[in-house]
Parts: sequence; structure tokens; C-alpha cells
Amino acid sequence: MTPIRRKTFLAMAASLAVAGHAAAQDDAEWQKIVEAAKKEGKLTLYTATIGSPWHKAVFQAFEKTYGIHVEPLEARASEIRERVRVEQAAGRFVGDIHHNGSTTTGLMLRDGNFQPHGSIPNLKNIEATYKADDIRVPAEVISYCLLINRSQVKPADEPKSWKDLLDPRWKGKILSDDFRALGGGAVFFMVTYDAFGKEFHEKLAAQKPVFSRDIANSERRTARGEFPLYLPFSLQDYNQIKSLPVKPIVPAEGRPYILFQLSMLKNAPHPNAARLFMNFYLEHEQQLVFANAGYNPVVTGVVEKVVDDLRPLLAAKAMGTTSPEKQDAMLELAKQIYS
Amino acid sequence: MGSAALWQRSDRATVAGALPLQADLPLARVRRLGRPAGIAALLLLLGFLSVYPMAMLLYGSLHSTPPGMAGEFNLDGYASLLTQANLIVLANTVGISLVKTVLSIALAILLAWIIARTDTPGRGLLEVLITLPFFIPPILTATAWAMLGNAQVGTINLFWRWLTGSDGTLVDVYSYGGVIWHMMQYSTPFIFLFVVDAFRAMDPSLEESSRMSGATRWQTFWRITFVLMLPVTTSAFILSFIRGMESFESAVFFGTPVGINVITTAIYDSITQRGQPDYQFATSLGFAAMVLMFLLLVLQSRLLKGRSFTTVTGKGYAPNVTRLGGLRWMTFGICVAFVVATVVMPIGQLLLSSFFQFFGFYQLDMLTLDHYRAIWTNDEFWSALANTMLLGFAGATATMALGAIVAYITTRTTWPGRRLIDLMAWLPWMMPGMVLGVGFLWGFATLPHEIPIYGTLWALFLAYVALGTPVSVRVMSGAYQQIARDIEECSRVHGAGWWQTLVRILIALAWPAFAVGWVLVFFGIMRELSASILLYAPGTSVLSVTMLKMWVGGKPEEVSVIGLFMLALVLLFRWVQLRFIKSRLNTL
Repeated sequence: MTPIRRKTFLAMAASLAVAGHAAAQDDAEWQKIVEAAKKEGKLTLYTATIGSPWHKAVFQAFEKTYGIHVEPLEARASEIRERVRVEQAAGRFVGDIHHNGSTTTGLMLRDGNFQPHGSIPNLKNIEATYKADDIRVPAEVISYCLLINRSQVKPADEPKSWKDLLDPRWKGKILSDDFRALGGGAVFFMVTYDAFGKEFHEKLAAQKPVFSRDIANSERRTARGEFPLYLPFSLQDYNQIKSLPVKPIVPAEGRPYILFQLSMLKNAPHPNAARLFMNFYLEHEQQLVFANAGYNPVVTGVVEKVVDDLRPLLAAKAMGTTSPEKQDAMLELAKQIYS
Repeated sequence: MGSAALWQRSDRATVAGALPLQADLPLARVRRLGRPAGIAALLLLLGFLSVYPMAMLLYGSLHSTPPGMAGEFNLDGYASLLTQANLIVLANTVGISLVKTVLSIALAILLAWIIARTDTPGRGLLEVLITLPFFIPPILTATAWAMLGNAQVGTINLFWRWLTGSDGTLVDVYSYGGVIWHMMQYSTPFIFLFVVDAFRAMDPSLEESSRMSGATRWQTFWRITFVLMLPVTTSAFILSFIRGMESFESAVFFGTPVGINVITTAIYDSITQRGQPDYQFATSLGFAAMVLMFLLLVLQSRLLKGRSFTTVTGKGYAPNVTRLGGLRWMTFGICVAFVVATVVMPIGQLLLSSFFQFFGFYQLDMLTLDHYRAIWTNDEFWSALANTMLLGFAGATATMALGAIVAYITTRTTWPGRRLIDLMAWLPWMMPGMVLGVGFLWGFATLPHEIPIYGTLWALFLAYVALGTPVSVRVMSGAYQQIARDIEECSRVHGAGWWQTLVRILIALAWPAFAVGWVLVFFGIMRELSASILLYAPGTSVLSVTMLKMWVGGKPEEVSVIGLFMLALVLLFRWVQLRFIKSRLNTL
């Protein structure tokens, strides 16, 4: 071995030893967090995801693994936001974790409702598309696509691109979430407006889509044949209706999406339990629960293991998402175009 | 004679008081102090229940930011109401509510008269069935009617096309008509519940006198029956009109898709459908609506002022019915048609769907009992049900007790402050529920931490009492106004105290109305969502929140099962209630 090679070898060995030591130190530090979390014994999670059995399954898995009880408080995004705001303003610090879409989370970050979460080991597995920072931890992704009624849309007529919606044959036959209100409709509007411009939406408005606020019922209305097309369909609802005559389609341009994030609320009464929960949420096993339910996972190496019928849909490219800065302007624009 | 009567009265008073004469002096002083102290306590209670959350909302309407955030006082919220779009929304709201209230009140009075005052066959069963739609969660009937009446593949239109061979559309629920029809499903039974017992409690000798004086049956109905029912019908009209202005589900399901917007959908948009919720606009719009409703109350007060509506007197009477002869089959047909349209069709749809895997897919291979099993094994449902039952029983009882007292003070006394008490009890009814829910959240969360209300069942209990009090006051006021003062005076002359007279005379005579009010408030609590979603905490979830979770979670079939369970509960309550009413009438 030449002196240079020996030096290199020694340097590498030393750095490995340091890294190993650091890892051991990290493990010991994390173990302290785990113990402290167990002593806290419970955590309160404010979530804008309502009635999801998949989330409940993950909460129960966490309880089973660590013996820490999860108390979820479910409400709509704006209701969660107002509760957190007024509680904190009144000096009531009840919640530990906030789980909401990235837009509402971004607005709450601006309002100072959160505190840094500290180091979380599983953050290293996050996919490049979904960024984490010292406050926000990506949780799972709602992806939007098209839903067609298989009895009414022949395979040859199935839309391949979002622009196929402008085909005159679909005039008056599109059921849609309202683009002028928060939710999937607004996400679709913003992403496709950015991608295809105003002209696309002016032409789509001429197709006379029928807006509905009863999102949970829209899939069934499509399945019953009230409308042949529905958009934007949330992929995580597919499992529940897959035995009906419907089919989800991700057009060639990709899937608009909304990223859900976990954040630690300011003065959280159980900060260690909250941190442990965030780490647990990012484990492959939990992310696979979400992925098999139709959510896009946020960590690498999960999509490949998803059930066959969902895998190609989740693997389709991400088209884009909303931003809190543009949201109100876009809602106003949608009102003008779809008045 | 006079001195003997006086002697007897003083003797009885002494016996009733069971105290020697000298000891009566401090007691009299306590009683003298008792009234203002009682009024003060009542004002304090109503102040906390209604004025306090309203004050928080008023702050919200006059401040650029909600409580707890830096901002400035201004009138921007009110100024922003003055746009053409908002005026159209206001006109839509008033128009829709007025049309549906007029139609509902006409139908409800007709049905109540048929049930209470005619010999129409099957009245007992029909009475229960007519009131059923009121107790079904609106989200379920909206789903049922969306399946029955959509223009494309709605069951009614498919049947019409099969019957006539045309490809036209007979009904489309996504329209003004659909919004009004869906609202009528709730307002007709609601008004019916208000007026049917008033019809039943009316001394028929008044009508008989009219007939004996030569008036026709119609003249008697309009000049005697209808006029005597004015306190109850105007109360029901106003409650129903206001509720119509605050209705949300009908408009959001059937109006929004075709561009029909009302006050509540505008408020909903401003606080839940914008990136930055606009509470200043929402609360300002709520107060603007409140002013409109307040004007209605003034109108009602003027309409009824100085008139007597006594129908229950100290003299005995035998409730009788009008014999309709062959016409009774026509009245029977009217009731059956109403029951088919509002009960059999939507509830039948829900019942059928609850046995299939999916709403509207009636294939043999999709038959299942899974939805019933899912509810049976759902811990969250049972926990929410237990909380709701506790809050329902305690809340309805407390609300009716409070309503009975408030109504007594406002209708039977000349005590100072009674008008203020009446107004305070009314306030929560005049503010749209979703805005008031925010008022409770702001109010309870900002209380000193030593007062353990926020985050407990107490928060829900107090909100429910506040929300139910206007109904309980109206129900009891209408009933009290029909009771002659001489009965009450007779009780006092015979030595009964204020409480004894209230409980043993007034509530005893008005108790059918008390029971109806109790059921209305109980099921109001079961269905209440706007305040519940903002006030529940982990462990204190209630049925309406659990149903929302299931609905949003894509389980409408399981929500149907809960809806049917609620209906079974209604049938049980109504059966018990009507049995008691019958036994009471037999006693009379």
C-alpha cells in the first residue's frame, strides 16, 4: 500500500468511525426521545382529514408500538385553523400535532402557530418532490385524476389528456368539484391554469361543467350514470368504489396534487410524543398503508410495493400543486371565468 | 261573604306556608327580594348564553381581524355587504324562505286541522308519519331526493319517461323549486308540530257558537279557528321563516350547482372556502340578517298586541271533531299523499339503500348487512351516541325548563325587564348557526381557564341550551297564551305560590306543548352540527360530528343506518308522547 493510499484509507476509516460514533450518539439521543414520549403517554392531533379509516389504522399502530394514545380531533381545514388560532390566542395549548394541507399549513406558519419539531430520523427518506423543513414534515399526498363511468364512456373515447375535456361531446356532461371554492376543484383550476393558461379554462367554462359541493357523493352520481365524467377525483377514494362501473384515469400531463403536512403546534403539551409520531408516520410500513389506500407516499421505495391496480396511477408524474400566496387570487379568477 | 273569603284565604296561606304570622315578615321580605333576584339571575344566564357569544361576533364584525389578533376597528364588513351580488343573495334568501314558509304553513295548518279536528280515518298513525321528515338529517333526504329527482337518471324522471314514452324531464331538484321543496320537507312537519296541539287544545264551544250563530264551516274556520290560532301560527311562521333564511343544506345541495346563492352559502364561502377566512364579512352578514329578522318580530308583536287568544278556560270542555262524511276520504287522501311524498319516497330510498353495498345500486349481488354490522361494531359511534343522549336528555329538559320560565315571565307577568328577557332568549335563533358556532368558540375559548367549559361537554350543553331556548320559549308562549288567567288566579287565591302555580297549573295545562317542545329541542340537539364541530374535543364527540366524518369518509350508506336509527327513536318518542296526550285528554 502506497503512503497516499494508506493515508486515504486511514482518513476513510477515521471518518467512518466518527460517523459510526455520531450514529450511535444519534441513536442514544433518539432513544431518550422515545422514553420521554412514552412518559408523556398521549398526544392530541388536529387533523383536516375526516373519517379516514387508513389514518385511524396508523394511529392504532402507533399506540400498539409505543403505548402512546392518539386523540384525533377531526374538522374541516378552516375550522381546525380557527380553533388553533383562538386557542393559542387564549393561552390554551391543547393540540400537539397539526395535520393539514400545505396551503393551510403555510398560512398558519405565517401566523406563528407552530414550533420547530427537532431532528426526525426518517426525514432522510423523503422523496425529492416533497420538501421538509424544520417546521413542516410531508405526510401523504392526495392526487387528483379523472373518473369516468365505464358504461357511458367507450374505451376509444376515454380522455387521454386534460385537454380532451374540451371535446364538444362532453358539453354539459362533466360533473366537477367547484373551482371557486377551496378543495380539489381549486387545486385542479390552479394547476391547469398554470399549465394550459386562461384560454383552456374559458373553453372549459363553455363546456358547462356542473359544480357540486357534495364531493363525497359525486363519485356515486357518476357511477349511477348521472354524468359520464367527474373531476377531480381523489385517488384515495378509489378503493371504496372500485366495484362500481367507474374507472380512474390519470391524463398524460400528470396528476394535480395536494401535499398534507405534519407540524408541531406551538407549546405542544406532548412534544416528544409528537416528534416520535412524526417519525413513525414516515416509516415504510405506515406509508404503505396510505399508498395502498390511494394516497401518494412521501418517502422513497414505497410506490413499487403498492397493490397492482393503484401502482401505475400513483407512479404517474406529479403535475403541480397550489400555493398559499396565489390561492385567493386564483379563486377570484375562477369566479370570473365560471360565473 | 267578602270577609269570609278573605279569612279563608289568609288561613290557607298560613297553612300552606306552615309558618306563624310573625315569621312571615322576613319571608315576605325574601319574596320581595326574590323577584328582582330571580330576574337578575335569569338576565345573567341569558346574557351568558346569548349576549356573550353575540358580543364576540359583534366585535368580529367591527374589527378587521377575529378576537386575539392585532387589527383595527372599522366598518369594512358592513360596507362590503353593499354590492349588487350581495343584494341578489339577500333577495334570493328572503324570496325562497317566504315562498317555502307560506306554502308550508298553509299545508301544515290544513294537515293539523285534519288530524286534530276531523274524523279522518287513521289520524293517530298519520300524525306520527307526517312529523317524521323533520327528524331525518337533511343531508340524507338531500341524497335521497338527488337520486329521485335528478334530471338525467332520477327515479321519478325514469318512471315518467317509461310511462309517457317521452324523453322529457318531469322534475329537476337542482332548481329553485328543488331548494324550496327540500326545505318544505322540514318546515311543514315543524309548523305542524307547533299547531296541531293548539288545535287539539281549543275549546270547540267557540266554534259551535259561531255555527249556531249562522256562520258557515269556512267562515267559522277563518273567523274563529284561524284567528284563535294566530299566536301559535305567527310564532311558527316567524320561526320557520327565520329558519328558512338560515337553511344551508337545501341551498348548498340543490341551489349552488345552478348558481342559486343564499346568505348561508355566502357565509359558508367566506369562512371555509377562502384561503384567508373573512370573519368580518361573515359576521356582518349575520347581523344584517338579524336586523331583518328582528323587524319580523316587531311585526308579530304589533299584530298580536291587545288581542286575546284564550281557548283553554276554567270551564270543562269535551274536545270534539268535525264529522266530514264522505269528505273524510279526501282529507285522508291529502294526508297520505303528503306522507308518500315526504316519507315513503325518501325514507324508502334510504331504507332500501341501507341493505345494499352502494346507494342507488340495487343488484342482488350487492345485498348486504355490512352497514348495520359496521355501525354495531363502531366504538366511536357508541361513544358519540352516549354523549348525544346525555346532552339530548339533559339539554332538552333544561332548555324546556328555561323556556317555560321565560315564556311565563313574558306572557303572564308585567314584571319590569320581561321584554329584555324575551329578546335575549330570541337572539340565538336570529343568527345563522354557522356564525353563531364561531361566536360560541370565541366566547368559550376566551373564558378564564379556571372556568372549565371549553373542551368539555359543558361547552356543548350550554350551546345547545342557547340554541334551543328560542324554540322552547315560542312553544310555551303559544301554549300559555291560550290558557285563561282565571285558572291561574284561582290557584293563587287558593294559596299556591308562584312556583306551584307555574308547575301545577300552567305547565300541567300546557304540558302537551312542553312535550312537543322537548322532542323538537331533543332532535335539534341530535342534528346540530355548526357549533358541535367547533366545540367538541377528543372524547366528547357527538352523533352529528360522527355522521359528518362518515359522510366525508365516503360512507353515506352507514349514515343512512344512523338516520334510520334516529327515525326509530322518533317513532318511540312520538308514540310515548301521543299516548300521554291521549290519556291526558281522557282525564280532562
